[in-house]
Amino acid sequence: MAEQWNITLVIRRQKQGQQPYDQEFKMEANPDENVIDLVERVWAFHDKTLNYAHACHHSTCGACGMRVNNVEKLTCITPVRSVVSNGGTLRVDPMRNFPVISDLAVDMGELYRRMELVGHHPVNSDRQEAIQKEFRPAGPADPGEDFIRLSDCIECGLCMSACPIVGSTPDYLGPAPLAGAHQAGLASNPKLLDIVGGTDGVWRCHSAYECTAVCPSNVDPGWRIMELRRMLIGEKLKSWFSPRKSVEVSK
Amino acid sequence: MSKPRIIVIGAGFTGVATAHDLALRGCEVTVVERGPIANGTSGRTHGLLHSGGRYAVKDQESAIECIDENMILRKIVPTVIEPNGGLFVALNEQDVAYGEDFIAGCEACHIPIEELTPKQVLAMEPNLNPGVLAAFTIPDGTFDPLRLALSFAATAKKHGAKFLLYHEVKGLLMDGQGNVTGVKVLDLPANKELELHADMVVNATGAWVGEITVMAGAQVPIQPTPGIMVAFDQRIAQRVINRLCPPADGDIVLPQRRMMVIGTTSFTAENLDYIPIIDEQIDLMLERAYELAPALKSAKLRGIYNATRPLIGSGAPGRSVARTFKCFDHKETDNVDGFVTITGGKATTLRAMAEKTTDIVLGKLGLNIPCQTMDYPLISYREFYALNN
Amino acid sequence: MNTNPNIFTRILSWFDPRGKTLGTYGFMLNRITALGLTLYLFLHLIVLGTLAQGPDAYDNFLKLIENPILKFGELLVVAAVFLHGLNGIRIGLNSFGIAVPRQREFFIGVVVLSLIAIAFFGWRMYFA
Repeated sequence: MAEQWNITLVIRRQKQGQQPYDQEFKMEANPDENVIDLVERVWAFHDKTLNYAHACHHSTCGACGMRVNNVEKLTCITPVRSVVSNGGTLRVDPMRNFPVISDLAVDMGELYRRMELVGHHPVNSDRQEAIQKEFRPAGPADPGEDFIRLSDCIECGLCMSACPIVGSTPDYLGPAPLAGAHQAGLASNPKLLDIVGGTDGVWRCHSAYECTAVCPSNVDPGWRIMELRRMLIGEKLKSWFSPRKSVEVSK
Repeated sequence: MSKPRIIVIGAGFTGVATAHDLALRGCEVTVVERGPIANGTSGRTHGLLHSGGRYAVKDQESAIECIDENMILRKIVPTVIEPNGGLFVALNEQDVAYGEDFIAGCEACHIPIEELTPKQVLAMEPNLNPGVLAAFTIPDGTFDPLRLALSFAATAKKHGAKFLLYHEVKGLLMDGQGNVTGVKVLDLPANKELELHADMVVNATGAWVGEITVMAGAQVPIQPTPGIMVAFDQRIAQRVINRLCPPADGDIVLPQRRMMVIGTTSFTAENLDYIPIIDEQIDLMLERAYELAPALKSAKLRGIYNATRPLIGSGAPGRSVARTFKCFDHKETDNVDGFVTITGGKATTLRAMAEKTTDIVLGKLGLNIPCQTMDYPLISYREFYALNN
Repeated sequence: MNTNPNIFTRILSWFDPRGKTLGTYGFMLNRITALGLTLYLFLHLIVLGTLAQGPDAYDNFLKLIENPILKFGELLVVAAVFLHGLNGIRIGLNSFGIAVPRQREFFIGVVVLSLIAIAFFGWRMYFA
């Protein structure tokens, strides 16, 4: 029989035109189940008016991002034991910086618009996708073969919620779109150079690195933003020393 | 005649694909869904772009549906698909013997396969069980479940379909003769009830169709059949790995982003809204996964969840039920007009289910508009969130 | 993105460490030391202005800073210079693609070095 813990689950509720409030549930939880399972039980057995986003339950869709004890988490892969102990309290809030539709469900429109703007590729060649050596998949790595792969970034928005600059500066593109621009490659779109090098681009990042800390999907936006800076500096130097503006950027 | 107004209940694969087909054929569509897109069975599929191989021996109707739709989806929505192919692998003599039926079945269903020697298949996928005795390639693929649904929904939205997410159907509007004329929904974010009228209501709630049909005094032979999926945190194969055997528990392990997902089992459940995980089933899945790819023993578990297949019953429960889909015109089955139910099917056949349903819906409205969805490229899935309602 | 319309709330949100990791402490420290150093720069210019008023005015000022509170303030300036400077080098190197995967360890190094410097200069200021 699976272990059962007794915990208190506190969920942030918010309906349109109403003041937000906390809803508390004393419940039994298996420490190895995931936080999304707790939210789902509350919905199924206690309150069907609770709204939350979820789809795949295995970290490929990016829908179930929430704040758990004030830390951004993908709740479908966050075991209960990693965020609370027996007898403790578990708090669930919606992500920051996105408009709340209802309770834990937020409007992801702006993130998706920006990902489209920078031209992030939802599917990519394996070699192009996993540039950082540490993040190559553990498996067959035949140098002769390249596969098509779904991108690492699942557009979950956790990085956008955790970034202090996104929290204070609405027009700052944010970690996910900038990482998406890096993935697409500066050469993919001549406008990208101005987008990432402009006022709302990589220079607004001030190295809190929360994006990398909360990313559940090996994107490492902090590293990608710094890589973009390196590439931008390289481009600038090249443009000073050669008469023709070069758009080709080598990785 | 003005544009037909259709309400689709459910924004899983069936609902969004039907909304897309209806909108493309000129209807005014409103989709009502009590949660977000694909939050039911559809979101939880392991993402197999089915080649039909699993059904080529015993359920050839489903197999042919799968391979045909597989090819169509690769054409119309490539941005959510990993077209890396799949394998059927034999690990014992029984499997090898099944290979004979498998070859004949795939041929009958025009599923292109190629036999490989153990040496060849291990060169392709070094992390397979080294004791593999025989293998076949098959045109499987994998897709992102949510983004497949979003692609259909986005294209439907582009053509005027409206999506009311977090709107729960509380009842059906009926006329004096017991026919359906619309739906009563609760707008959950605003806590407000609404009445929406339509020329036809399409019940596309998958495993939950019975909960909607009962509101009209109708019924469908739905047999919701949950199964477990286990996701590992390492992608140790690039292709789908199927066990060369008749449909069984844990007969497939496939890559999804940087994970491998093993599935699945078959059991019954009381409450469709929450199905508890059964520990013995996790153990069974791990056992099967390690058989197919021993390298997974060093991987950690990342996700564990149940997904409920909408099987259409005819008596025998579980795996023997056909995996194909069915559209029920309730005028014929229950003398309730204005109401059709579409359920069953597999993720890969979503477009075909929508085509059949839209044909029936428009037929009932006396319209004959040809389907274009088999050739119509879907727009970027991001447009669903980026386009406003 | 959905940001709070109140600018003070937005600025204060930078300094809420709850649920945050070490990188945010670097972020916060860089801001606080920057403000501190800017304030110090103004004070420094004002002080230098006293030079224009002749040697007595400047000598009077030098007697003023024997005050232990102001002396501590000077130690804070030393702290700010080291923290901001070393962290700045860390961020600058990161922006050239150097040491990003080790940014956390690098920050710990910055803090340790700064503490050593603060201890050294503190000893010199108070005891030497």
